[in-house]
Amino acid sequence: MPRLVAIAWLTWKAAFRFRLFLVVAVLLLGAVVGLPLLIKDDGTARGFTQILLTYTLGAITALLGLSTLWLACGTLARDIEECQMQVVAVKPIARWQIWLGKWLGIMSLNAALLALSGGSVYVLLQWRADRLPPKEQEILRNEVLVARGSAKPEGYDKAIEAETDQQFRERLDKNPGLKADWKEVRQQIRESIKDPYQRVPPGWPHEWKVDLGLARHFLHGQPLYLRVKFNAAEKSPSGTYQGVWRVGVPRKTQLWVSEEMSLAPDTFHEFPIPPYFDDQGILTIGFGNLNNTSLLFPLDDGLEVLYPQGGFGLNYVRGLGIIFCWMALLAALGLAAASFLSFPVAAFLSLGVLILALSSGTIANAVSEGTLMGYNEETNKMGHSVLDVLAIPVFRFVLHVINLAKDFSPIESLSTGRSITWGQLGLAFGQIVLLLGGLLGLFGIVAFTRRELATAQGNQ
Amino acid sequence: MTATESPRTSPLASRPDGEVVISVTGLTKVFKDFWGRPKARAVDDVDFAVHRGEVFGLLGPNGSGKSTTVKLLLGLLYPTKGHIEVFGHSPRHVPTKSHIGYLPEESYLYRYLDSRETLDFFANLFRLPKGDRAKRTEQLLEMVGLSQTRTRAVGEFSKGMQRRIGLAQALINDPDLVILDEPTSGLDPIGCREVKDLIVALARRGKTIVLSSHLLADVEDVCDRVVIYYGGRVQAMGTLKELLATPDAIRITTPALSRETMARVLNTIRQDVAEDKVQIDTPTQNLESYFLAVVERAQRAAAETSGAMSGATVAAYLLGNEEAKPASDRILERLTLPQAAAAAPATAPQPAQTVDEEKLEALTRSVEPALDPASAKAAPAQPADLEKANEKLAALLGKQG
Repeated sequence: MPRLVAIAWLTWKAAFRFRLFLVVAVLLLGAVVGLPLLIKDDGTARGFTQILLTYTLGAITALLGLSTLWLACGTLARDIEECQMQVVAVKPIARWQIWLGKWLGIMSLNAALLALSGGSVYVLLQWRADRLPPKEQEILRNEVLVARGSAKPEGYDKAIEAETDQQFRERLDKNPGLKADWKEVRQQIRESIKDPYQRVPPGWPHEWKVDLGLARHFLHGQPLYLRVKFNAAEKSPSGTYQGVWRVGVPRKTQLWVSEEMSLAPDTFHEFPIPPYFDDQGILTIGFGNLNNTSLLFPLDDGLEVLYPQGGFGLNYVRGLGIIFCWMALLAALGLAAASFLSFPVAAFLSLGVLILALSSGTIANAVSEGTLMGYNEETNKMGHSVLDVLAIPVFRFVLHVINLAKDFSPIESLSTGRSITWGQLGLAFGQIVLLLGGLLGLFGIVAFTRRELATAQGNQ
Repeated sequence: MTATESPRTSPLASRPDGEVVISVTGLTKVFKDFWGRPKARAVDDVDFAVHRGEVFGLLGPNGSGKSTTVKLLLGLLYPTKGHIEVFGHSPRHVPTKSHIGYLPEESYLYRYLDSRETLDFFANLFRLPKGDRAKRTEQLLEMVGLSQTRTRAVGEFSKGMQRRIGLAQALINDPDLVILDEPTSGLDPIGCREVKDLIVALARRGKTIVLSSHLLADVEDVCDRVVIYYGGRVQAMGTLKELLATPDAIRITTPALSRETMARVLNTIRQDVAEDKVQIDTPTQNLESYFLAVVERAQRAAAETSGAMSGATVAAYLLGNEEAKPASDRILERLTLPQAAAAAPATAPQPAQTVDEEKLEALTRSVEPALDPASAKAAPAQPADLEKANEKLAALLGKQG
């Protein structure tokens, strides 16, 4: 342990003596203080949250992530290139201890910087919240500066898949030997099966049942919030669509019916609803479509019930904890690259991997379409390439790996007042730090142990 | 009348038939390019063994394979073929490294650390207790003459000062095996002399030294045995006596003689040797000795310098002394102890020993090849003294010496 600490302490000294810590701290504080000054909010709780939480935390994550990658690549690769590592490696310290000591050094620096910048955001948030109009302050306290649990209607995924398979087989049996784009056929069958679950025809109602689970025991008398998003089949002249909402079941629970609401499509809306769920904790929500066109509430994020679960402070710390897990992964990535590459190449590779991870939407599209070529507008068909045979399985695997780290969205959760549970934080630690970071660490340590350190020429 | 027996001032090392510290067999290192094609054969089928207490020199021109061999010994490079054992283990065996000190050919230290932090950092890697770290750091800084610059960043040091702090870090663990790659490179003559004195002092305590250098004077002054490299291969190996002796000639040095005495001596010699085989000249002291004498005079006149001070004081724990002795005692010791005087001439050499019959007889006998390495050395330190020194060291380090 003293050896690990000695190496970690060395990273601290380097960060301070080369003024890296100072520069990154100033940049982070500049982002925290400067962004709200540069970008004025619109005076609403949402606008305020967007800038004070979403933008600043996003900027902190980006800045800290880049500095982590840079420092991780530099601290190991430059030590090897400038030959200091030759003097360290001949001392009674194992290579894995050197590697881990470097990682610990970077992570302790990150912890300090994240605490400094995250603490500043928290203080600024509380201080500036008091300047909002009273109504917006109330919205802010109820919808953002809280930790709210989330419940969604049943997804019916398994039922939809089973029904899709059955109908697809029936079509195959009816048309033996028919040449067709079967992948596209299956996709269309699936969409048609999903339709009644998510589409509300004009003039018709639709009902969702949301199971609040064990949360029902402490939600009596507490305000709930409905978060909805929908798409419209046709454009409305006014840009909005009318509908009414109902909560509860006649003769079984209390009933609440909203006034006629005018809502814009393709964006999230959030409004309070009463906690009129039944004894089993099932909350029944109905919607009446008052328009001349169909509205579609997507199965995955069309409707969600949010309920109070805890305070903002601890939720915020857990959110920062997930960001810290990302930093741990980036530090492992930079060190792994520096274990077998020179500094510039390691930095280039690490940044390349980071960009690839950030652009996983393109990969996801290719995987969902099953081809690299995309949709051909002229032929109205999906394109195909011989590379698909190899690329799509590889992309699917890469996407799966990326999603292990990207499945967590602490900034979005914090800015929408959602609860980040200890379970989520633990899962993030397990998936991001232990699994992905561990694999990178293992690779890096093996590469570093096998590396001949004296092949580098000193260039001090 | 004074007789010069041999040009070397051998340290008081033990015999090379002792415990084998380093064993190298069939060592070959081929550097390859990106595609795995052989690029350079830096070391080619080398065999040698280094024994406990030896000062072993790796000698050769630039690019001959000395540094590559050193890095193979330290596990910084991996052999293409062959086998290396250091203290009976692979060079990559981590616990073995706690017995090794290494001074690389350049100052590969962290530029942003100061001298004290540098030594403390490396001491931490040896898990030395805090008290020992502080004590050794102070003693080593004193020894290498950097006690006045302990808070200056190493990156601001001159090359010579960086070599000094590099040497200090190599000795922080009181190593049993010290590997020095070009240890006097970049040092001024005083520093060179001090390093050589230190090597002698370490060898006297039974430490094993491997010295890689292309400076012949360094190797000649301190090494018991050398291996000479060229093109990655061993060209010659043995004790300096074996390698340098010219058994068919002798040299006699005396104070200036009267014309009559000189004529008498020459007549006697000419009875046995042809006149064209006899050479008479006036010996000159070497430049290093002359320079050291001048500097010592200047130091006595209290001339100031802003650079590294002349260290001279070997750290107490390296000498086996619990407390460093006062400067006056050290000077006295140097003047009175025959070993110290032979190893570290601080002033211009003066005739120090009158030739006697035994010496003459020995010289006469040296016409015969004298390849016994033991006879090439000055008298070794008394075992009792070494034991005492080790006891003191053990007390200082809190472990068995």
